[in-house]
Amino acid sequence: MAQILLDSIDKRFKVYERPDGKWGLIKGAFMRKVRSVQALDGIGFQIGEGELVGYIGPNGAGKSTTVKIMSGILTPDCGICEIGGRVPWKDRVKHVSEIGVVFGQRSQLWWDVPVSDSFSLLKDIYDIPETQYQERLRELTNALNIAEFLKIPARQLSLGQRMRCEIIAALLHRPKILFLDEPTIGLDAVSKLALRAFLKEENKRSGVTVLLTTHDMDDIEALCSRVMVIGRGRLLYDGALCGLKERYAAKDRQNIDEIIAAMYEDMAL
Amino acid sequence: MRKTVRACLSLFRISLAENFQYRTSALSGVVTNLVWCFIEAAAFGVFFKYAVNAGFSGGLTLAQTISYLWVREMLLMLLSYGINDELLTKITNGNVALEMCRPLDLYWHWFSRITAGKVAGFLMRGVICFLIAFLIPGGYGARLPASFSSFLVFLPSVFCAFLLGNAYEMLVTAIRTNTTWGDGPMHMMMLLPKVLSGSVLPLQLLPDFLQLVLLLQPFAGIIDIPARLYIGSMAPSEAWFGMSMQLFWSLTFIILGKWVMSRRLKSIVAQGG
Ligand SMILES: Nc1ncnc2c1ncn2[C@@H]1O[C@H](COP(=O)(O)OP(=O)(O)OP(=O)(O)O)[C@@H](O)[C@H]1O
Ligand SMILES: [Mg+2]
Repeated sequence: MAQILLDSIDKRFKVYERPDGKWGLIKGAFMRKVRSVQALDGIGFQIGEGELVGYIGPNGAGKSTTVKIMSGILTPDCGICEIGGRVPWKDRVKHVSEIGVVFGQRSQLWWDVPVSDSFSLLKDIYDIPETQYQERLRELTNALNIAEFLKIPARQLSLGQRMRCEIIAALLHRPKILFLDEPTIGLDAVSKLALRAFLKEENKRSGVTVLLTTHDMDDIEALCSRVMVIGRGRLLYDGALCGLKERYAAKDRQNIDEIIAAMYEDMAL
Repeated sequence: MRKTVRACLSLFRISLAENFQYRTSALSGVVTNLVWCFIEAAAFGVFFKYAVNAGFSGGLTLAQTISYLWVREMLLMLLSYGINDELLTKITNGNVALEMCRPLDLYWHWFSRITAGKVAGFLMRGVICFLIAFLIPGGYGARLPASFSSFLVFLPSVFCAFLLGNAYEMLVTAIRTNTTWGDGPMHMMMLLPKVLSGSVLPLQLLPDFLQLVLLLQPFAGIIDIPARLYIGSMAPSEAWFGMSMQLFWSLTFIILGKWVMSRRLKSIVAQGG
Protein backbone atom coordinates (compact mmCIF):
# COMPACT_ATOMS: atom_id res chain seq x y z
CA MET A 1 0.00 0.00 0.00
CA ALA A 2 1.11 3.51 -0.69
CA GLN A 3 2.67 5.36 2.18
CA ILE A 4 1.08 8.63 1.18
CA LEU A 5 -2.38 8.62 -0.25
CA LEU A 6 -4.43 11.65 -1.22
CA ASP A 7 -7.73 11.49 -2.99
CA SER A 8 -10.01 14.28 -4.26
CA ILE A 9 -8.81 16.82 -1.74
CA ASP A 10 -10.56 20.19 -1.92
CA LYS A 11 -9.56 23.29 -0.06
CA ARG A 12 -11.14 26.70 -0.31
CA PHE A 13 -9.94 29.81 1.43
CA LYS A 14 -12.05 32.80 2.27
CA VAL A 15 -10.47 36.08 1.35
CA TYR A 16 -11.82 39.43 2.41
CA GLU A 17 -11.66 42.27 -0.06
CA ARG A 18 -12.11 45.95 0.33
CA PRO A 19 -14.70 47.31 -2.11
CA ASP A 20 -13.26 49.36 -5.00
CA GLY A 21 -13.89 52.94 -5.80
CA LYS A 22 -13.71 56.29 -4.17
CA TRP A 23 -15.56 55.28 -1.02
CA GLY A 24 -14.03 51.83 -0.84
CA LEU A 25 -12.04 52.68 2.23
CA ILE A 26 -15.07 53.75 4.20
CA LYS A 27 -17.39 51.12 2.81
CA GLY A 28 -14.82 48.50 3.68
CA ALA A 29 -15.09 49.37 7.34
CA PHE A 30 -18.72 48.32 7.36
CA MET A 31 -18.97 45.55 4.87
CA ARG A 32 -16.31 43.30 3.55
CA LYS A 33 -16.66 41.46 0.32
CA VAL A 34 -16.01 37.80 0.95
CA ARG A 35 -14.63 35.81 -1.93
CA SER A 36 -13.68 32.22 -1.85
CA VAL A 37 -10.51 30.97 -3.52
CA GLN A 38 -10.25 27.38 -4.57
CA ALA A 39 -6.69 26.49 -3.63
CA LEU A 40 -7.04 22.75 -4.19
CA ASP A 41 -9.52 21.25 -6.59
CA GLY A 42 -9.67 17.50 -6.27
CA ILE A 43 -5.99 16.74 -5.82
CA GLY A 44 -5.12 13.08 -5.55
CA PHE A 45 -1.94 11.02 -5.78
CA GLN A 46 -0.07 8.16 -4.19
CA ILE A 47 3.54 7.98 -3.15
CA GLY A 48 5.27 4.80 -2.13
CA GLU A 49 7.87 4.34 0.57
CA GLY A 50 11.32 5.57 -0.39
CA GLU A 51 10.26 7.64 -3.39
CA LEU A 52 11.79 11.01 -4.19
CA VAL A 53 9.08 13.11 -5.75
CA GLY A 54 9.24 16.63 -7.12
CA TYR A 55 6.10 18.71 -6.78
CA ILE A 56 6.10 21.67 -9.12
CA GLY A 57 3.72 24.26 -10.45
CA PRO A 58 3.43 28.01 -10.97
CA ASN A 59 2.99 30.48 -8.11
CA GLY A 60 -0.29 30.08 -6.31
CA ALA A 61 -0.88 26.61 -7.73
CA GLY A 62 -1.53 25.07 -4.33
CA LYS A 63 1.77 23.39 -3.53
CA SER A 64 2.24 24.83 -0.07
CA THR A 65 -1.40 24.19 0.70
CA THR A 66 -0.94 20.52 -0.13
CA VAL A 67 2.16 20.32 2.04
CA LYS A 68 0.32 21.97 4.93
CA ILE A 69 -2.49 19.45 4.66
CA MET A 70 -0.06 16.56 4.58
CA SER A 71 1.74 17.92 7.63
CA GLY A 72 -1.46 18.03 9.62
CA ILE A 73 -1.62 21.78 10.15
CA LEU A 74 -4.46 22.44 7.74
CA THR A 75 -7.70 20.57 7.37
CA PRO A 76 -9.09 20.13 3.86
CA ASP A 77 -12.76 20.76 3.14
CA CYS A 78 -13.24 17.26 1.82
CA GLY A 79 -11.31 14.35 0.44
CA ILE A 80 -9.14 11.59 1.79
CA CYS A 81 -5.61 11.95 3.06
CA GLU A 82 -3.82 9.07 4.74
CA ILE A 83 -0.14 9.08 5.53
CA GLY A 84 1.40 5.97 7.01
CA GLY A 85 -2.15 4.84 7.68
CA ARG A 86 -3.03 7.95 9.68
CA VAL A 87 -5.14 10.98 8.98
CA PRO A 88 -2.69 13.83 9.69
CA TRP A 89 -5.00 16.37 11.29
CA LYS A 90 -6.87 13.79 13.36
CA ASP A 91 -3.84 12.12 14.87
CA ARG A 92 -1.57 15.13 14.75
CA VAL A 93 0.98 14.46 17.47
CA LYS A 94 1.66 10.86 16.40
CA HIS A 95 1.76 11.89 12.78
CA VAL A 96 4.20 14.76 13.15
CA SER A 97 6.60 12.71 15.22
CA GLU A 98 7.25 10.60 12.14
CA ILE A 99 7.64 13.31 9.55
CA GLY A 100 10.00 16.20 9.00
CA VAL A 101 8.81 19.46 7.47
CA VAL A 102 10.69 22.47 6.15
CA PHE A 103 8.93 25.58 4.97
CA GLY A 104 11.62 27.50 3.20
CA GLN A 105 9.99 30.85 3.76
CA ARG A 106 9.46 30.44 7.46
CA SER A 107 11.52 29.65 10.44
CA GLN A 108 10.81 26.88 12.84
CA LEU A 109 13.98 27.54 14.74
CA TRP A 110 13.83 29.36 17.91
CA TRP A 111 14.74 32.92 17.12
CA ASP A 112 16.61 34.23 20.14
CA VAL A 113 18.66 31.29 21.32
CA PRO A 114 21.73 29.64 19.80
CA VAL A 115 20.89 27.11 17.12
CA SER A 116 22.43 24.35 19.22
CA ASP A 117 19.88 25.08 21.96
CA SER A 118 17.05 24.71 19.46
CA PHE A 119 18.50 21.37 18.45
CA SER A 120 18.85 20.09 21.98
CA LEU A 121 15.29 21.13 22.64
CA LEU A 122 14.21 19.09 19.64
CA LYS A 123 16.11 16.19 21.12
CA ASP A 124 13.81 16.34 24.14
CA ILE A 125 10.69 16.95 22.10
CA TYR A 126 11.27 13.91 19.93
CA ASP A 127 12.73 11.92 22.79
CA ILE A 128 15.93 11.04 20.95
CA PRO A 129 18.47 9.09 23.06
CA GLU A 130 21.59 11.12 23.78
CA THR A 131 24.12 8.95 21.90
CA GLN A 132 21.94 8.72 18.82
CA TYR A 133 21.39 12.44 18.92
CA GLN A 134 25.09 13.25 19.11
CA GLU A 135 25.86 10.91 16.27
CA ARG A 136 23.09 12.28 14.09
CA LEU A 137 23.97 15.88 14.85
CA ARG A 138 27.60 15.29 13.92
CA GLU A 139 26.57 13.62 10.70
CA LEU A 140 24.22 16.45 9.74
CA THR A 141 26.49 19.32 10.72
CA ASN A 142 29.27 17.79 8.65
CA ALA A 143 27.05 17.16 5.66
CA LEU A 144 25.64 20.69 5.60
CA ASN A 145 28.71 22.34 7.03
CA ILE A 146 27.18 24.42 9.80
CA ALA A 147 29.48 23.57 12.71
CA GLU A 148 30.69 27.15 12.90
CA PHE A 149 27.30 28.74 13.51
CA LEU A 150 25.96 26.36 16.10
CA LYS A 151 26.45 28.90 18.86
CA ILE A 152 24.81 31.81 17.04
CA PRO A 153 21.15 32.72 17.58
CA ALA A 154 18.96 32.00 14.56
CA ARG A 155 18.07 35.66 14.07
CA GLN A 156 21.68 36.58 13.41
CA LEU A 157 22.18 34.00 10.65
CA SER A 158 22.04 34.78 6.96
CA LEU A 159 19.18 33.31 4.96
CA GLY A 160 21.21 30.42 3.58
CA GLN A 161 22.88 29.67 6.89
CA ARG A 162 19.50 29.59 8.56
CA MET A 163 17.99 27.37 5.88
CA ARG A 164 20.72 24.81 6.42
CA CYS A 165 19.93 24.82 10.14
CA GLU A 166 16.20 24.49 9.43
CA ILE A 167 16.87 21.43 7.32
CA ILE A 168 18.92 19.86 10.08
CA ALA A 169 16.16 20.61 12.56
CA ALA A 170 13.75 18.67 10.36
CA LEU A 171 16.04 15.67 10.05
CA LEU A 172 17.36 15.17 13.59
CA HIS A 173 14.72 12.64 14.55
CA ARG A 174 15.23 10.54 11.42
CA PRO A 175 11.75 11.03 10.00
CA LYS A 176 10.29 8.43 7.69
CA ILE A 177 8.82 11.10 5.46
CA LEU A 178 10.19 14.49 4.55
CA PHE A 179 8.17 17.37 3.16
CA LEU A 180 10.35 20.13 1.82
CA ASP A 181 8.64 23.29 0.66
CA GLU A 182 11.26 25.29 -1.25
CA PRO A 183 14.21 24.11 0.82
CA THR A 184 16.83 25.50 -1.55
CA ILE A 185 15.67 29.08 -1.20
CA GLY A 186 18.66 31.29 -0.53
CA LEU A 187 21.26 28.56 -0.68
CA ASP A 188 24.56 29.23 -2.44
CA ALA A 189 25.85 26.82 -5.07
CA VAL A 190 27.99 24.86 -2.65
CA SER A 191 25.21 24.40 -0.11
CA LYS A 192 22.71 23.51 -2.80
CA LEU A 193 24.93 20.76 -4.11
CA ALA A 194 25.64 19.58 -0.58
CA LEU A 195 21.94 19.45 0.22
CA ARG A 196 21.11 17.52 -2.93
CA ALA A 197 23.90 15.04 -2.33
CA PHE A 198 22.79 14.65 1.24
CA LEU A 199 19.14 14.05 0.39
CA LYS A 200 20.07 11.50 -2.21
CA GLU A 201 22.35 9.70 0.19
CA GLU A 202 19.80 9.79 3.01
CA ASN A 203 17.14 8.45 0.69
CA LYS A 204 19.36 5.60 -0.44
CA ARG A 205 20.57 4.69 3.02
CA SER A 206 17.51 5.01 5.22
CA GLY A 207 14.79 4.89 2.61
CA VAL A 208 13.22 8.20 3.60
CA THR A 209 10.38 9.33 1.39
CA VAL A 210 10.82 12.88 0.12
CA LEU A 211 8.33 15.25 -1.42
CA LEU A 212 10.00 18.40 -2.61
CA THR A 213 8.50 21.58 -3.96
CA THR A 214 10.80 24.01 -5.64
CA HIS A 215 11.10 26.52 -8.43
CA ASP A 216 14.65 25.45 -9.10
CA MET A 217 14.35 22.88 -11.85
CA ASP A 218 17.92 21.76 -11.29
CA ASP A 219 16.84 20.43 -7.89
CA ILE A 220 14.25 18.31 -9.60
CA GLU A 221 16.62 17.15 -12.30
CA ALA A 222 19.25 16.18 -9.78
CA LEU A 223 16.96 14.44 -7.33
CA CYS A 224 13.60 13.33 -8.54
CA SER A 225 12.82 10.47 -10.83
CA ARG A 226 9.17 11.39 -10.58
CA VAL A 227 7.53 14.80 -10.90
CA MET A 228 4.02 15.92 -10.26
CA VAL A 229 2.82 19.13 -11.81
CA ILE A 230 -0.01 21.04 -10.19
CA GLY A 231 -1.85 24.03 -11.59
CA ARG A 232 -4.89 25.84 -10.21
CA GLY A 233 -5.31 23.16 -7.60
CA ARG A 234 -5.36 20.25 -10.03
CA LEU A 235 -2.85 17.56 -10.77
CA LEU A 236 -1.81 17.98 -14.40
CA TYR A 237 1.07 15.62 -14.84
CA ASP A 238 2.48 12.74 -12.89
CA GLY A 239 5.44 10.82 -14.23
CA ALA A 240 9.07 10.99 -15.17
CA LEU A 241 10.77 14.31 -15.82
CA CYS A 242 12.04 13.03 -19.16
CA GLY A 243 8.43 12.52 -20.23
CA LEU A 244 7.80 16.23 -19.79
CA LYS A 245 10.99 17.07 -21.59
CA GLU A 246 10.10 14.94 -24.55
CA ARG A 247 6.74 16.52 -24.84
CA TYR A 248 7.78 20.16 -24.51
CA ALA A 249 11.37 20.30 -25.69
CA ALA A 250 11.94 21.91 -29.07
CA LYS A 251 14.89 23.07 -31.08
CA ASP A 252 14.85 26.51 -29.55
CA ARG A 253 14.02 25.12 -26.11
CA GLN A 254 16.73 23.08 -24.49
CA ASN A 255 16.97 24.86 -21.16
CA ILE A 256 14.85 23.16 -18.52
CA ASP A 257 13.29 26.41 -17.31
CA GLU A 258 12.19 27.22 -20.84
CA ILE A 259 10.68 23.77 -21.17
CA ILE A 260 8.73 24.15 -17.96
CA ALA A 261 7.59 27.62 -18.95
CA ALA A 262 6.34 26.23 -22.25
CA MET A 263 4.45 23.55 -20.37
CA TYR A 264 2.78 26.03 -18.03
CA GLU A 265 1.78 28.07 -21.06
CA ASP A 266 0.48 25.05 -22.88
CA MET A 267 -1.62 24.05 -19.88
CA ALA A 268 -2.96 27.60 -19.79
CA LEU A 269 -1.80 28.37 -16.27
CA MET B 1 3.59 12.59 29.63
CA ARG B 2 7.16 12.08 30.85
CA LYS B 3 8.34 13.30 27.47
CA THR B 4 6.24 16.44 27.72
CA VAL B 5 7.57 17.23 31.18
CA ARG B 6 11.16 16.75 30.10
CA ALA B 7 10.72 18.84 26.97
CA CYS B 8 9.01 21.59 28.97
CA LEU B 9 11.76 21.64 31.59
CA SER B 10 14.37 21.84 28.89
CA LEU B 11 12.50 24.70 27.25
CA PHE B 12 12.21 26.41 30.61
CA ARG B 13 15.94 26.11 31.22
CA ILE B 14 16.84 27.48 27.80
CA SER B 15 14.46 30.43 27.99
CA LEU B 16 15.62 31.24 31.47
CA ALA B 17 19.21 31.37 30.26
CA GLU B 18 18.11 33.54 27.38
CA ASN B 19 16.21 35.93 29.62
CA PHE B 20 19.14 36.27 31.98
CA GLN B 21 21.03 37.96 29.18
CA TYR B 22 18.93 41.08 29.46
CA ARG B 23 20.85 42.44 32.41
CA THR B 24 20.81 46.10 31.43
CA SER B 25 17.06 46.19 31.10
CA ALA B 26 16.71 44.40 34.43
CA LEU B 27 18.96 46.94 36.09
CA SER B 28 17.00 49.91 34.79
CA GLY B 29 13.85 48.05 35.82
CA VAL B 30 15.13 47.78 39.38
CA VAL B 31 15.79 51.52 39.52
CA THR B 32 12.35 52.34 38.16
CA ASN B 33 10.64 50.04 40.64
CA LEU B 34 12.60 51.47 43.56
CA VAL B 35 11.77 55.06 42.66
CA TRP B 36 8.08 54.49 42.05
CA CYS B 37 7.50 52.35 45.07
CA PHE B 38 9.35 54.80 47.32
CA ILE B 39 7.18 57.68 46.09
CA GLU B 40 4.10 55.59 46.72
CA ALA B 41 5.25 54.64 50.20
CA ALA B 42 5.85 58.32 51.01
CA ALA B 43 2.39 59.23 49.70
CA PHE B 44 0.81 56.60 51.91
CA GLY B 45 2.79 58.05 54.83
CA VAL B 46 1.17 61.43 54.25
CA PHE B 47 -2.25 59.88 53.68
CA PHE B 48 -2.15 57.86 56.88
CA LYS B 49 -1.04 60.87 58.92
CA TYR B 50 -4.12 62.88 57.95
CA ALA B 51 -6.53 59.96 57.71
CA VAL B 52 -5.74 58.68 61.16
CA ASN B 53 -6.19 62.18 62.55
CA ALA B 54 -9.60 62.21 60.89
CA GLY B 55 -10.53 58.94 62.59
CA PHE B 56 -9.77 56.50 59.73
CA SER B 57 -9.07 52.94 60.68
CA GLY B 58 -8.60 50.81 57.57
CA GLY B 59 -7.75 47.16 57.44
CA LEU B 60 -4.02 47.84 57.55
CA THR B 61 -1.54 49.91 59.55
CA LEU B 62 0.92 52.21 57.81
CA ALA B 63 3.79 49.82 58.50
CA GLN B 64 1.84 46.92 57.04
CA THR B 65 0.85 48.98 54.02
CA ILE B 66 4.42 49.94 53.22
CA SER B 67 5.59 46.38 53.66
CA TYR B 68 2.74 45.32 51.36
CA LEU B 69 3.83 47.81 48.71
CA TRP B 70 7.33 46.36 48.54
CA VAL B 71 6.11 42.78 48.37
CA ARG B 72 3.79 43.86 45.58
CA GLU B 73 6.69 45.50 43.77
CA MET B 74 8.54 42.21 43.92
CA LEU B 75 5.60 40.29 42.42
CA LEU B 76 4.71 42.94 39.87
CA MET B 77 6.44 40.96 37.12
CA LEU B 78 3.48 38.61 37.23
CA LEU B 79 1.30 41.25 35.63
CA SER B 80 1.94 42.74 32.23
CA TYR B 81 0.10 44.83 29.72
CA GLY B 82 -0.03 42.14 27.10
CA ILE B 83 0.84 38.55 26.53
CA ASN B 84 4.34 37.26 25.89
CA ASP B 85 5.93 39.16 22.98
CA GLU B 86 7.30 36.15 21.22
CA LEU B 87 4.00 34.31 21.31
CA LEU B 88 2.12 37.39 20.17
CA THR B 89 4.43 37.72 17.16
CA LYS B 90 3.93 34.07 16.32
CA ILE B 91 0.19 34.48 16.52
CA THR B 92 0.03 37.60 14.37
CA ASN B 93 2.38 36.39 11.64
CA GLY B 94 0.79 32.96 11.46
CA ASN B 95 3.81 30.97 12.60
CA VAL B 96 1.69 29.35 15.29
CA ALA B 97 0.68 26.78 12.74
CA LEU B 98 4.32 25.81 12.29
CA GLU B 99 4.62 24.94 15.96
CA MET B 100 1.99 22.34 15.23
CA CYS B 101 4.49 20.48 13.06
CA ARG B 102 6.20 19.38 16.25
CA PRO B 103 4.90 16.57 18.43
CA LEU B 104 4.31 18.66 21.50
CA ASP B 105 1.58 19.86 23.76
CA LEU B 106 1.40 23.48 22.73
CA TYR B 107 -0.36 24.56 25.92
CA TRP B 108 2.31 23.35 28.32
CA HIS B 109 5.05 24.44 26.01
CA TRP B 110 3.85 27.99 25.93
CA PHE B 111 3.20 27.80 29.63
CA SER B 112 6.84 26.94 30.27
CA ARG B 113 8.00 29.72 28.00
CA ILE B 114 5.87 32.31 29.77
CA THR B 115 6.96 31.01 33.15
CA ALA B 116 10.65 31.26 32.25
CA GLY B 117 10.24 34.89 31.24
CA LYS B 118 8.49 35.73 34.49
CA VAL B 119 10.82 33.79 36.74
CA ALA B 120 13.79 35.56 35.17
CA GLY B 121 12.13 38.94 35.69
CA PHE B 122 11.18 38.01 39.23
CA LEU B 123 14.70 37.00 40.19
CA MET B 124 16.61 39.72 38.39
CA ARG B 125 14.25 42.57 38.92
CA GLY B 126 11.73 41.79 41.63
CA VAL B 127 13.87 40.09 44.24
CA ILE B 128 16.84 42.41 43.76
CA CYS B 129 14.62 45.48 44.07
CA PHE B 130 13.09 44.00 47.22
CA LEU B 131 16.45 43.35 48.83
CA ILE B 132 17.75 46.84 48.05
CA ALA B 133 14.54 48.29 49.47
CA PHE B 134 15.59 47.08 52.94
CA LEU B 135 18.25 49.80 52.88
CA ILE B 136 15.75 52.65 52.49
CA PRO B 137 15.62 54.64 55.73
CA GLY B 138 12.81 56.49 57.49
CA GLY B 139 10.35 53.60 57.69
CA TYR B 140 9.68 53.71 53.94
CA GLY B 141 11.69 50.65 52.99
CA ALA B 142 10.91 46.95 52.89
CA ARG B 143 10.38 45.14 56.18
CA LEU B 144 10.88 41.65 57.51
CA PRO B 145 7.85 39.34 57.42
CA ALA B 146 5.42 39.43 60.34
CA SER B 147 6.86 36.25 61.79
CA PHE B 148 8.98 33.32 60.77
CA SER B 149 5.91 31.17 60.14
CA SER B 150 4.45 33.97 58.01
CA PHE B 151 7.56 33.73 55.90
CA LEU B 152 7.25 29.96 55.64
CA VAL B 153 3.72 30.15 54.24
CA PHE B 154 4.60 33.12 52.05
CA LEU B 155 7.02 31.07 49.94
CA PRO B 156 4.61 28.39 48.66
CA SER B 157 2.04 31.12 48.18
CA VAL B 158 4.38 32.93 45.78
CA PHE B 159 4.74 29.69 43.88
CA CYS B 160 0.95 29.44 43.61
CA ALA B 161 0.85 33.06 42.48
CA PHE B 162 3.10 32.18 39.54
CA LEU B 163 0.89 29.27 38.64
CA LEU B 164 -2.19 31.45 38.78
CA GLY B 165 -0.75 34.42 36.89
CA ASN B 166 0.56 32.20 34.11
CA ALA B 167 -2.62 30.14 33.87
CA TYR B 168 -4.54 33.38 33.38
CA GLU B 169 -2.08 34.71 30.82
CA MET B 170 -2.34 31.42 28.94
CA LEU B 171 -6.10 31.82 28.83
CA VAL B 172 -5.68 35.30 27.38
CA THR B 173 -3.11 33.96 24.92
CA ALA B 174 -5.46 31.20 23.82
CA ILE B 175 -8.19 33.75 23.23
CA ARG B 176 -5.74 36.03 21.41
CA THR B 177 -5.07 33.29 18.85
CA ASN B 178 -8.31 34.46 17.34
CA THR B 179 -6.52 36.97 15.16
CA THR B 180 -9.63 38.61 13.78
CA TRP B 181 -10.34 40.16 17.18
CA GLY B 182 -7.08 42.06 17.40
CA ASP B 183 -5.52 43.41 20.57
CA GLY B 184 -8.59 45.01 22.18
CA PRO B 185 -10.02 42.10 24.16
CA MET B 186 -6.52 41.12 25.22
CA HIS B 187 -5.80 44.53 26.72
CA MET B 188 -9.11 44.50 28.53
CA MET B 189 -8.48 41.07 29.94
CA MET B 190 -5.01 42.06 31.10
CA LEU B 191 -6.32 45.17 32.84
CA LEU B 192 -8.63 43.20 35.10
CA PRO B 193 -5.95 41.52 37.24
CA LYS B 194 -4.06 44.81 37.49
CA VAL B 195 -6.90 46.32 39.47
CA LEU B 196 -8.17 43.25 41.26
CA SER B 197 -4.86 41.75 42.34
CA GLY B 198 -4.07 44.62 44.67
CA SER B 199 -1.33 46.04 42.49
CA VAL B 200 -3.00 49.45 42.41
CA LEU B 201 -4.18 49.55 46.00
CA PRO B 202 -3.98 46.91 48.74
CA LEU B 203 -7.33 45.15 48.66
CA GLN B 204 -7.71 45.44 52.43
CA LEU B 205 -7.80 49.23 52.17
CA LEU B 206 -10.96 49.05 50.06
CA PRO B 207 -14.41 49.36 51.72
CA ASP B 208 -15.46 46.67 54.20
CA PHE B 209 -18.56 45.49 52.37
CA LEU B 210 -16.39 44.47 49.38
CA GLN B 211 -13.88 42.48 51.38
CA LEU B 212 -15.40 39.01 51.00
CA VAL B 213 -15.85 39.34 47.25
CA LEU B 214 -12.35 40.75 46.87
CA LEU B 215 -10.85 37.79 48.64
CA LEU B 216 -12.78 35.20 46.69
CA GLN B 217 -12.28 36.64 43.20
CA PRO B 218 -9.55 34.97 41.16
CA PHE B 219 -7.00 37.74 40.98
CA ALA B 220 -6.40 38.22 44.71
CA GLY B 221 -4.15 35.20 44.46
CA ILE B 222 -1.67 36.91 42.14
CA ILE B 223 -0.43 39.52 44.63
CA ASP B 224 -2.78 40.16 47.49
CA ILE B 225 -2.82 36.74 49.14
CA PRO B 226 0.95 36.25 49.24
CA ALA B 227 1.35 39.85 50.42
CA ARG B 228 -1.21 39.35 53.20
CA LEU B 229 0.64 36.29 54.37
CA TYR B 230 3.92 38.20 54.38
CA ILE B 231 2.67 41.16 56.38
CA GLY B 232 0.62 38.95 58.66
CA SER B 233 -2.81 40.41 57.89
CA MET B 234 -3.67 36.84 56.95
CA ALA B 235 -2.48 34.58 59.77
CA PRO B 236 -0.30 31.57 58.91
CA SER B 237 -3.08 29.38 60.27
CA GLU B 238 -5.34 30.72 57.48
CA ALA B 239 -2.79 30.14 54.78
CA TRP B 240 -4.46 26.91 53.69
CA PHE B 241 -7.50 28.94 52.71
CA GLY B 242 -5.54 31.51 50.71
CA MET B 243 -3.59 28.87 48.88
CA SER B 244 -6.67 26.77 48.17
CA MET B 245 -8.16 29.83 46.51
CA GLN B 246 -5.02 30.28 44.45
CA LEU B 247 -4.95 26.65 43.39
CA PHE B 248 -8.66 26.53 42.69
CA TRP B 249 -8.49 29.49 40.33
CA SER B 250 -5.29 28.25 38.69
CA LEU B 251 -6.97 24.97 37.91
CA THR B 252 -10.02 26.75 36.55
CA PHE B 253 -7.91 28.91 34.23
CA ILE B 254 -5.84 25.95 33.08
CA ILE B 255 -8.90 23.94 32.16
CA LEU B 256 -10.48 26.90 30.40
CA GLY B 257 -7.25 27.79 28.62
CA LYS B 258 -6.66 24.27 27.37
CA TRP B 259 -10.21 24.06 26.17
CA VAL B 260 -10.12 27.35 24.27
CA MET B 261 -6.75 26.49 22.80
CA SER B 262 -7.71 23.05 21.55
CA ARG B 263 -10.76 24.56 19.90
CA ARG B 264 -8.81 27.41 18.35
CA LEU B 265 -6.00 25.26 17.03
CA LYS B 266 -8.44 23.40 14.85
CA SER B 267 -9.34 26.52 12.97
CA ILE B 268 -5.96 28.21 12.82
CA VAL B 269 -4.83 28.69 9.27
CA ALA B 270 -1.19 28.82 8.35
CA GLN B 271 -0.90 32.00 6.35
CA GLY B 272 1.29 32.41 3.32
CA GLY B 273 3.95 30.17 1.83
N1 LIG C 1 -4.40 31.56 4.24
C1 LIG C 1 -4.88 31.81 3.02
N2 LIG C 1 -5.96 32.60 2.86
C2 LIG C 1 -6.48 32.83 1.64
N3 LIG C 1 -5.98 32.34 0.51
C3 LIG C 1 -4.89 31.55 0.57
C4 LIG C 1 -4.29 31.25 1.83
N4 LIG C 1 -3.24 30.44 1.61
C5 LIG C 1 -3.18 30.26 0.26
N5 LIG C 1 -4.19 30.92 -0.36
C6 LIG C 1 -4.44 30.90 -1.82
O1 LIG C 1 -4.43 29.56 -2.25
C7 LIG C 1 -3.74 29.43 -3.48
C8 LIG C 1 -2.61 28.42 -3.35
O2 LIG C 1 -1.60 28.92 -2.51
P1 LIG C 1 -0.27 28.12 -2.19
O3 LIG C 1 0.43 28.86 -1.13
O4 LIG C 1 -0.59 26.71 -1.93
O5 LIG C 1 0.54 28.25 -3.56
P2 LIG C 1 1.97 27.68 -3.95
O6 LIG C 1 1.74 26.66 -4.99
O7 LIG C 1 2.71 27.28 -2.75
O8 LIG C 1 2.65 28.93 -4.63
P3 LIG C 1 4.17 29.47 -4.55
O9 LIG C 1 4.90 28.76 -5.63
O10 LIG C 1 4.03 30.90 -4.88
O11 LIG C 1 4.68 29.21 -3.19
C9 LIG C 1 -3.28 30.83 -3.85
O12 LIG C 1 -4.17 31.35 -4.80
C10 LIG C 1 -3.37 31.62 -2.58
O13 LIG C 1 -3.76 32.93 -2.86
MG1 LIG D 1 4.45 27.89 -1.73
